[in-house]
Amino acid sequence: MDMMMNDESRMLQDLVQRFVERELMPLEAAVLKREAETGSYRLLPEEEAPLLEKCRELGLWGLDVPEEMGGVNLSALDRLMVEEEVSRTITPFEFPPDSPNLHMLKAVATPEQREKYMVPYAEGRMKSCIAISEPGAGGDPAGMITRAVKDGSDWVINGRKIWVSRVPYCDFIILMARTGEGKREEGVTAFIVEKDTPGFIIEREIAMIGGKKTYELVFEDCRVPESQVLGELGRGYAPMQLRLNIRRLQVGARCVGIIGRALEMMIDQANNRATFGVKLADRQAIQWWIADAGIRMHALRLMVQAAARTLDAGGDVRHEASMIKVFATETAQEVLDQAMQCHGAMGMTRELPLQLFYQQVRLMRIYEGPTEVHRMAIARRMLKSRGSRS
Amino acid sequence: MKLLVPVKRVVDYNVKVRVKADGTGVETANVKMSMNPFDEIAVEEAVRLKEKGTVTEIVAVTIGPAQAQEQLRTALAMGADRAILVEAEGAEPLGVAKVLKALVEREQPQLVILGKQAIDDDMNATGQMLAALLGWSQGTYASKVELSADGAKVTREVDGGLETVQLKLPAIVTTDLRLNEPRYASLPNIMKARKKPLETLKAADLGVDLTPRLTVVKVEEPPKRQAGVKVGSVSELVSKLKTEAKVI
Ligand SMILES: Cc1cc2nc3c(=O)[nH]c(=O)nc-3n(C[C@H](O)[C@H](O)[C@H](O)COP(=O)(O)OP(=O)(O)OC[C@H]3O[C@@H](n4cnc5c(N)ncnc54)[C@H](O)[C@@H]3O)c2cc1C
Ligand SMILES: Cc1cc2nc3c(=O)[nH]c(=O)nc-3n(C[C@H](O)[C@H](O)[C@H](O)COP(=O)(O)OP(=O)(O)OC[C@H]3O[C@@H](n4cnc5c(N)ncnc54)[C@H](O)[C@@H]3O)c2cc1C
Repeated sequence: MDMMMNDESRMLQDLVQRFVERELMPLEAAVLKREAETGSYRLLPEEEAPLLEKCRELGLWGLDVPEEMGGVNLSALDRLMVEEEVSRTITPFEFPPDSPNLHMLKAVATPEQREKYMVPYAEGRMKSCIAISEPGAGGDPAGMITRAVKDGSDWVINGRKIWVSRVPYCDFIILMARTGEGKREEGVTAFIVEKDTPGFIIEREIAMIGGKKTYELVFEDCRVPESQVLGELGRGYAPMQLRLNIRRLQVGARCVGIIGRALEMMIDQANNRATFGVKLADRQAIQWWIADAGIRMHALRLMVQAAARTLDAGGDVRHEASMIKVFATETAQEVLDQAMQCHGAMGMTRELPLQLFYQQVRLMRIYEGPTEVHRMAIARRMLKSRGSRS
Repeated sequence: MKLLVPVKRVVDYNVKVRVKADGTGVETANVKMSMNPFDEIAVEEAVRLKEKGTVTEIVAVTIGPAQAQEQLRTALAMGADRAILVEAEGAEPLGVAKVLKALVEREQPQLVILGKQAIDDDMNATGQMLAALLGWSQGTYASKVELSADGAKVTREVDGGLETVQLKLPAIVTTDLRLNEPRYASLPNIMKARKKPLETLKAADLGVDLTPRLTVVKVEEPPKRQAGVKVGSVSELVSKLKTEAKVI
């Protein structure tokens, strides 16, 4: 329990906890059954509609939308606390609108783009996704080769993107493409491309673990007007990084929620299951799993909170975001593995949420930058910070 | 019409309560605290009466430690108009009832709605004591409250059924579980609660002496429940009830 939390944050936490407990948790059994039987890990429209209605009623809408657009503009600290709470359930639900692109739009959108895309997005009338990765450039996106060429007052885009999430539900995508001669990060520009633009082709759907689907996209002479350039020409990389940093902190907060849930399940199992006449709770092997999970969950939550405070104070959290992403996903993966192990055969069933959490965390170790790439970036910064003599 | 709603800060109903090592009480350090669930029902009822138009002002009060203003903020976020914190630690039901009497004399409400009991010590006493101290009529264990300008019709949950009483105002009502389902405080209302007035007093300011009159001898956990046994037939059950449990 955080004694430093102010009254509003505490009440917000209470509100979200109740929402999760009473509205989302009861859907878990149906969600697990559907995922096991059909491979689909999504809420049905008739399950989602009343939840969205409830969110409107409770003001749980536009949590990081600016106030001038009717949003709540929560601090990063509160926003991540909400993320932790809602991640305790496997029921797939995000407080609307899905937010990470919002931060990129907030940073660089023109007044016209704000009006046309950001307002409807903030109100939940439009959805979006982002296309960065390419078949030849994922963990190292600066190697991308999709290119946009100026033709009169338009830009003509050619190239291929892959692993893009949410494509069927989105109204527009933020597309990263090369516009300049610069190498790597230089010369990369962000474009807003509406989904029905000619030359924007959804090539194929790719089934991933954890009931997820991603999409391969092809851009064939896809023509967009100058007004679709998002941010400065050739400088799209920095706002894209900003978006990713926030995602990485979110991954951290989600893992705290998931670890918390797994730990509770592990504790209940340990307290109630006996083998060889002894409770699992009395075995040191199990006790250490519980103790270590508790220690690391506490450390992770503090890491996320510290980064959130820095972000709220206007600081840069790139380094911390990498550390959090690595520590969060590796810890959650290990704790989930132990929680499943502790449940024996029951832990291997698709009736418990543990296996589906496990798959979600497995995905998190790849997207928003694979673990090894983050470790490389962390080490590089640290090594550089002391220089070398030769 | 003005309405007073006393609320209490208690250990959250989801927390597994632990007895302190020295047996003087239950552990409250580092434990999640919340508004007593019956008091949430009381606040909800008050807000509904205000929404119906019979009530014009709701004053939430608590007698507790400084941190109890958290629970007052929750009451304000649910719809109370202002709040009063009377700072005091460990007050007993009679002491609380005396403080409430002093506040009633100051605030002049027509109705006080309290929880029937607090889930910490389950005393089920404050509402009744307050009614006695004030000489007001009371409707306890309410599952339905209909308010008019001159009276309150209260349906009470009693052994074996429901009893309906007509109270003259001013009156005391205590809430039972089925009276209503409390709303969630919405985020905009949480933000608004910050701007609502919250006054802090000391019991002495109200001329009330809170010196304890009860002595806690010992607090201990209830004995662990024994595992049940499965019986093979009705006749075995009856024989066990006769010979082992000795209840028939
Ligand atoms: C579920 C899911 C959703 C996704 N959604 C999107 C999306 O919406 N939009 C989008 O643009 N992309 C998305 N991605 C793509 C994701 O960002 C990339 O998969 C990720 O950046 C890794 O790129 P890659 O798959 O090309 O792997 P690679 O870059 O080929 O890396 C493969 C592996 O090589 C190793 N490796 C790579 N570099 C190093 C190094 N420097 N040192 C040591 N080892 C290294 C690591 O083990 C790494 O996992 C999504 C991916 C997944 C799994
Ligand atoms: C795919 C699959 C197929 C199966 N097929 C069959 C089959 O055909 N026939 C059949 O009879 N059974 C089958 N089983 C059951 C399997 O043998 C049991 O699941 C296994 O023996 C574990 O028992 P349990 O699930 O009751 O776990 P538990 O005995 O409850 O153990 C749960 C966990 O508690 C911990 N634990 C237990 N004891 C100790 C200890 N002494 N010290 C420390 N930690 C301890 C371990 O982490 C263990 O994983 C199958 C299981 C699976 C997953």
